[in-house]
Amino acid sequence: MYLSIVVPLYNEEESLEKLLSSILEVGKDFDFTYEIIFVDDGSTDKTWQIIERLKKTTPHLKAIKFRRNYGQTSAMVAGFDHASGEIIVTMDGDLQNDPADIPLLLKKIAEGYDIVSGWRKNRKDHFSRVLPSKIANAIISLSTGVGLHDYGCSLKAYRAECVKSLRAYGEMHRFFPALASMTGAQVTEIPVSHHPRKYGVSKYGFSRILKVLSDIFAMNLIIRFSAMPLKGFAVCSLPFLLLTVAFGILAVLSLIYQWTSGKALFFFIATALSSMAFVHLITLGVLGELVVGTSDLSHTQLPEITKKRITVDKEGKKAQVAIIQGS
Amino acid sequence: MKYSIIVFLEDSYEDFPEFIKNLNSLFSALNAPFEILIMANGTGGFLRNQMKQLEDLNHRLKAFELSTKSSEAVCLQAALKESAGEIILVCGSYQQITTDSLRQALVSLDDHTDIVNPWRQKRVDPPFNQFQSKVFNFLVRKITSSNLHDLSCTVRVYRRQVLEETEVYGNMYRFLPIVAARRGFKTIEVKCEHQQERGRTGFYDLSSYITRLIDIFTLYFNTRFTRKPLRFFSAIGTSFFIIGFLIALYVFLQKVFMGIPIGGRSVLLLALLSMVLGVQASSVGLLGEIITFTHARHKREYSIQKII
Repeated sequence: MYLSIVVPLYNEEESLEKLLSSILEVGKDFDFTYEIIFVDDGSTDKTWQIIERLKKTTPHLKAIKFRRNYGQTSAMVAGFDHASGEIIVTMDGDLQNDPADIPLLLKKIAEGYDIVSGWRKNRKDHFSRVLPSKIANAIISLSTGVGLHDYGCSLKAYRAECVKSLRAYGEMHRFFPALASMTGAQVTEIPVSHHPRKYGVSKYGFSRILKVLSDIFAMNLIIRFSAMPLKGFAVCSLPFLLLTVAFGILAVLSLIYQWTSGKALFFFIATALSSMAFVHLITLGVLGELVVGTSDLSHTQLPEITKKRITVDKEGKKAQVAIIQGS
Repeated sequence: MKYSIIVFLEDSYEDFPEFIKNLNSLFSALNAPFEILIMANGTGGFLRNQMKQLEDLNHRLKAFELSTKSSEAVCLQAALKESAGEIILVCGSYQQITTDSLRQALVSLDDHTDIVNPWRQKRVDPPFNQFQSKVFNFLVRKITSSNLHDLSCTVRVYRRQVLEETEVYGNMYRFLPIVAARRGFKTIEVKCEHQQERGRTGFYDLSSYITRLIDIFTLYFNTRFTRKPLRFFSAIGTSFFIIGFLIALYVFLQKVFMGIPIGGRSVLLLALLSMVLGVQASSVGLLGEIITFTHARHKREYSIQKII
């Protein structure tokens, strides 16, 4: 199997049939095998019944039904877990992405990129959704160093190993490219078409920007700290070390010169307090090393997934990069 | 196998064989294959002595003994491994609800339900115990926003999948329906008739109340924050840090504009203390986040009902 198309669905009964037929339309031109994976994220409408009906006529459709609504990240991860393709394409189920863009994404992947992200250059959403997302995108780009314009676009293509080994959780789906690029994956983007929403209501609210921002902050922190916890905590403890030294000197001076202004013990107590904070942070850092050291270390081995074999072609002239596909 | 009945034997009641026989006749009437598993939990040799009386049930009886008194979560895991039924009825060491209610609970588990949790009506235990049980259940309902009224009933009916997919440990067996509901399993409550109560009555000792409160807090944390501990800890940490910072700012401004000497202000120590506490709480959260990121990445967050 070469390609798996993963589509998370939440209450999409109206758009479902159209979505499948447009994917199948594009699929006719594929000269490789592919599968479609629908993930029903705990829909409360007839989504699942429609999927069951569509399944009867479409043998290469696979469908997963969640017990309840778990969110887009979980739906995508479940899709990845059950995908057997070498390349995984994700897209939205609300017809705002156009399956006709899939061949373009695949072309970029064939060029050697690990992740190709869609960029909704002409977004057809209300301005109140576009603006916050632009701000969020700029911040993600700045803080992660991955220069994409549109992290929120669901239409993306991945080399399967790259995204499977991330083992994402929580609300990470927006950070797949950022997360993967920290492991050394080659990330790029191409403009894709974007249609206005026809059916149903948007599942996003304005308040999400705060949540997204705190997610970005937390993700950055977690990735850095998980790589070398003691170093991270030691950096955090630095201000307290400085405070300890400063208060300590003042305490000694106050003893020598018998300072009478101020309570006699003030500097001693302040020294003790800040040194406690310092020690606390350092011990946490050591504990962090213990936690990371006892884990299976899979998160530190992520860069390995991007390794590529270099082969020399038959005439022995040109060196090529061949992508190793995991089994 | 359709039904497995798991009986937790925790106290040596003389009428235990009758209880098992009663269960046997109830299930025999259902005309479906079933088995009875008895998990003796720290009752010494009691079960061994009773086995003679249960001789004629031998073909569908499996009896096990845990040598030390263990938690219900351990008993359940041990029994689950030995059981084969699709539907599992768990009950305590004596008949707590009437036979009719037992049957009612079993029948209520239809195709769209995964757990049946009995709600004892007209309780027969002392009013004081009913009161504290009400308070406990009310607290749990409010904190977990579930709608279960009776978490202390020893009888429950589960679909096998529920128990296989929902992990509980320590004292958390009591809250299993809530934990399972958060994974997406459908829980319903069935009103039942309370037959008898042999549990503890009157005031419990102080430590049981404290333990119960800690259990509720554990449930609250586990159901909300296991995958994002930083959210929880940073909420505490940030508020302490901000309080400390504001106090420090106030003292500093007083020094600058009113000339009050800053060195001797004990309130400045309070500010420093509060800020230190804030940093500590947040950093513990960060450590929690590292634990989740490095150790829980294999644990699947979602629960799949069906794949086609």
